[in-house]
Amino acid sequence: MKKNTAVGMLILGSLELLGTAAYAESDPEDIIKYRQNVMKANGAHMAAAGAILQGKVDYKKDLAYHAKTLQTINSDIPALFPKGSDFGDTKALDGVWAKRADFEKRAKDTRAKADAFVKAAGGDTKAALAKFKELSDSCKACHKDFRKEEK
Amino acid sequence: MNASRLLAFVGATLFAGSVFAAEPAMDRGEYLFRAAGCGGCHTDEKNKGPALAGGAAIKTPRGTFYAPNITPDPTYGVGRWSEADFFRATREGLNPDGAHYYPSFPYASYTRLTDDDLRALWNYLRRQAPVTQASRPHELPWYVRSRSLLSTWKALYFTPGAWQPRPDKDETWNRGAYLAEAVGHCGECHTPRDSLGGPRRGLHFAGTREGPDDSVVPNITPDKKTGIGRWRKSEIIEYLDSGMTPEGDFAGDVMAEVIDRSTSRLTPPDREAIAVYLLSLPPVEHAVRKEKKKPAKGKDAFGF
Ligand code: HEC
Ligand code: HEC
Ligand code: HEC
Repeated sequence: MKKNTAVGMLILGSLELLGTAAYAESDPEDIIKYRQNVMKANGAHMAAAGAILQGKVDYKKDLAYHAKTLQTINSDIPALFPKGSDFGDTKALDGVWAKRADFEKRAKDTRAKADAFVKAAGGDTKAALAKFKELSDSCKACHKDFRKEEK
Repeated sequence: MNASRLLAFVGATLFAGSVFAAEPAMDRGEYLFRAAGCGGCHTDEKNKGPALAGGAAIKTPRGTFYAPNITPDPTYGVGRWSEADFFRATREGLNPDGAHYYPSFPYASYTRLTDDDLRALWNYLRRQAPVTQASRPHELPWYVRSRSLLSTWKALYFTPGAWQPRPDKDETWNRGAYLAEAVGHCGECHTPRDSLGGPRRGLHFAGTREGPDDSVVPNITPDKKTGIGRWRKSEIIEYLDSGMTPEGDFAGDVMAEVIDRSTSRLTPPDREAIAVYLLSLPPVEHAVRKEKKKPAKGKDAFGF
């Protein structure tokens, strides 16, 4: 038993090592591209959920899936912005790293709003729309403070 | 947010259709005040400064400006002004002593406000709390410090006078034009400027890489390639309401402030009018955003 745990720890430890090693070696441009793709998916699910909620399309049964995906994507936004991923083809402002606490506050707020949206998505449209609006506002609030088109 | 939605609702009922002109000047003044974004420049929101007692720095390629205290304080604000003084300031860009204002005060747009709307705005300002706080002086390079030079700028670019509706266009278009050109002063950011700070001819609303606060301001003419020609009317309305683009991206930078403070608080018919007006503009091909470095591939690389 003890031995097993020790081996387990060892495996876990080396996995973690491998993980960090792989991470440290990834090209910042690849991290930037990755996070932009994840953010694009974020946008795609917002646009899709919005179209359903506004009655533009009749895919009501898919709303829960979009909400759930938004919850997953927004569960840890700061992880998409590790140190060193500030140079390159990015619109992220220096503040993402220089004012990290503020940035994390915005991310936390969006996570809470996405959680609330999941809960409301199963219920009536008016309540779901209200939570959707709050989530929207939280996306906008972070972009206001932390994103700028590159000069 | 709730308060703003409520306001929008109240506004919608107050200003729906033809009752617009019959409404009491007070409420209309507050509606206009928000739509025109006066607080965005004159209140230092970043540092939680008192309302209208002087704004945060406005960085432009031609220097840093601080919008002054416009509360009714008799010493530091505009407490001693008459309505005529206020009309002269917004309509003609002149202070009570006859000196020119810098166009960083967007009077080149506000000059188009109607007499009724200017009066409503003035009545609203008069009702705000006076604040005893001196305005900060602008920080300008020596060659633009003299206000007398501004007469040249005005001679070149400024035509004072209230908005005249176009009889050949319908009511919605005219309302949209008035909101975009006079009240919302969209062109102050979205129209590129020449070296003297005047709007560049032929590029009305076509975007600039030299926006306020180092922003890149996109082309909002209905050009399909470089503007918003692929946006549908409902998508423009949505953007002005929530900030969401057709791709589900969300507005950032100074536009997020414009949406929070002004366009999201307009009545739905007013947002629609702006969308109608934007889509009626002549499309201008003018790329502002940085081209993504796409690897050349397939036929394109060989020009076929
Ligand atoms: C905590 C801050 C933060 C939050 C919250 C946030 N974003 Fe972003 N988002 C950013 C930043 C910073 C960028 C720019 C990333 C870059 O260019 O490297 C961005 C980029 C984007 C992009 C553009 C991707 C591209 O490159 O084309 C989209 C779309 C987007 N976000 C959608 C959303 C949506 C939808 C939400 C809310 C559900 C959201 N974001 C919430 C910070 C945030
Ligand atoms: C884009 C920023 C901006 C906006 C929006 C703005 N102002 Fe100003 N305003 C300024 C600046 C900058 C000055 C100072 C100009 C100068 O010193 O020449 C000014 C000056 C003034 C003055 C003259 C004050 C004095 O003491 O001489 C008045 C009155 C005024 N603004 C009212 C308004 C009203 C009313 C609105 C909304 C309808 C408004 N402003 C919107 C930037 C702005
Ligand atoms: C203070 C400057 C400013 C003012 C005033 C302003 N805008 Fe903008 N606008 C911007 C900036 C900057 C962006 C880019 C936002 C971003 O990076 O997310 C933008 C983006 C937009 C977009 C999205 C275009 C696109 O391709 O993504 C639309 C539509 C728009 N503005 C319409 C308007 C209208 C209508 C008005 C007037 C009611 C207005 N704007 C007033 C600065 C301004």
